[in-house]
Amino acid sequence: MATEFVTVARAEDIDEGGMRAVDVGGRMVAVARTGGAWYAFDDVCTHRQCSLAEGELDGTTVMCPCHGSEFDVTTGEVLAGPATQPVGTFQIRVEGDEVQVSA
Amino acid sequence: METIAVVGASLAGGTAAAVLRQEGFDGRVVLIGEERHPPYERPPLSKEYLRGEQPLEAGFVRPEGWYEEQGIELRLGVRAERVDPGERAVHLEGDERVPFDRALVATGARNRRLDVPGADLDGVLDLRTPADADRIKESAASGGRAVIVGMGFIGAEVAASLRSLGVEVAVVEFFPVPLYRALGEEVGRVIEGVHRDHGVEMHFGEGVERFEGHGRIESVVTTSGRHLECDFAVVGVGVQPNVEVVADTAIEVEDGILVGPTLETSVPGIFAAGDVASHEHPVFGRLRVEHFDNALKMGPVAARNLLGAGEAFDDPHWFWSDQYDVNLQVAGFARRWDEVVFRGSVRERSFTAFYLEGGVLLATAGVNRPRDVRRSMPLIARRARPGPAALRDADVDLRTLASPA
Repeated sequence: MATEFVTVARAEDIDEGGMRAVDVGGRMVAVARTGGAWYAFDDVCTHRQCSLAEGELDGTTVMCPCHGSEFDVTTGEVLAGPATQPVGTFQIRVEGDEVQVSA
Repeated sequence: METIAVVGASLAGGTAAAVLRQEGFDGRVVLIGEERHPPYERPPLSKEYLRGEQPLEAGFVRPEGWYEEQGIELRLGVRAERVDPGERAVHLEGDERVPFDRALVATGARNRRLDVPGADLDGVLDLRTPADADRIKESAASGGRAVIVGMGFIGAEVAASLRSLGVEVAVVEFFPVPLYRALGEEVGRVIEGVHRDHGVEMHFGEGVERFEGHGRIESVVTTSGRHLECDFAVVGVGVQPNVEVVADTAIEVEDGILVGPTLETSVPGIFAAGDVASHEHPVFGRLRVEHFDNALKMGPVAARNLLGAGEAFDDPHWFWSDQYDVNLQVAGFARRWDEVVFRGSVRERSFTAFYLEGGVLLATAGVNRPRDVRRSMPLIARRARPGPAALRDADVDLRTLASPA
């Protein structure tokens, strides 16, 4: 079955080094633009459910604003605690001006 | 086969054991803990766990079976009596000996007790372990009224959790505001306001004269003679490091086990980390820190240095406290300061306080502004002198101040 993509933002709405939380079929997904590439991952930190898009993006590392957990946005894996569980990642593409995430 | 003994199945100890394996150490790792739980996080004990929102297991450093999978010998419910640096062995209660080549001491701290009449009455509680939290939770289940003694981080968080459980709370605090020693009067005053809004009755500049009751606590009598009736009391008046395990050995101890920048004690090959370690910090000088993030970050550095990395621990220090809907974060360390600069709105409880001495940024405290706190950390680590005007201006991205002017 082909992966379905949904449009979640316009490319111009997210600056380089920026993030935004979007609702993809009821699941909050963080969209990050860094190093000229786009990444999509669960917005909800696996530690205490804070929004990762409210945190800090440093290269391909996102840091949770609440308690400092760090995740690799390319894989979702935990780079630093207190979180121990990875976040999910999603396919993302830009079609024209539309940022699309796999539903 | 080489053996590394980790004394204290704590956050620092458990994390260190995990990192030893991650870094490829394939010798024997023995992780020794007095409590019966595998290493767990303590922050939820005053918050989510205390309020019954989260089981203890959710805060396990690693899942219970993980240690066995990793070939880590987890010895729980057994007390380490002594770490003997000459003999290179840990003596456990019951005459068992664990010989080691290198060792990490991460025995943490224990609560200070109030030495006043009635301190041993039933219902005079404190908080360190899950069992302590369970006792508070049971007392809170019937509602009633609690007196909290001490409004540092533990007292303030327990007060917030008890309020949300419907318990009436009165606080007795020696200093003029909550969190006074960590944050000073101005920020402490804001936290006081938050607690007042949630109906906490606070008595500052007061100590405890005695606890009164017949078998069980009925009231707290303060140093000014006030009688505060209660169903239970929670005492949070600081901790003392668990250094006895190395007492009278070549390992030097002051307020904690003295370690150099790399967390090594005065005896080569023996390290200390977490609450018990009095660390020579490259930026702040000698410091013993009792926060979660410190233990979490010292554990891995200790592990790598046990394997010979020789890495200085120079983290600028950071911690958080969640109280009601307030997320407070603090970075850096300031024993004293001569100026506090605010950005944001104190009235709306969304602000950052920058603590400066001689123009050098020593620490940052953010109320519901985690981003400022994070972005100030490189400035603190560099002992930067950001201008007060730039700090005050919320439109100035703190990251732009990090590079040399």
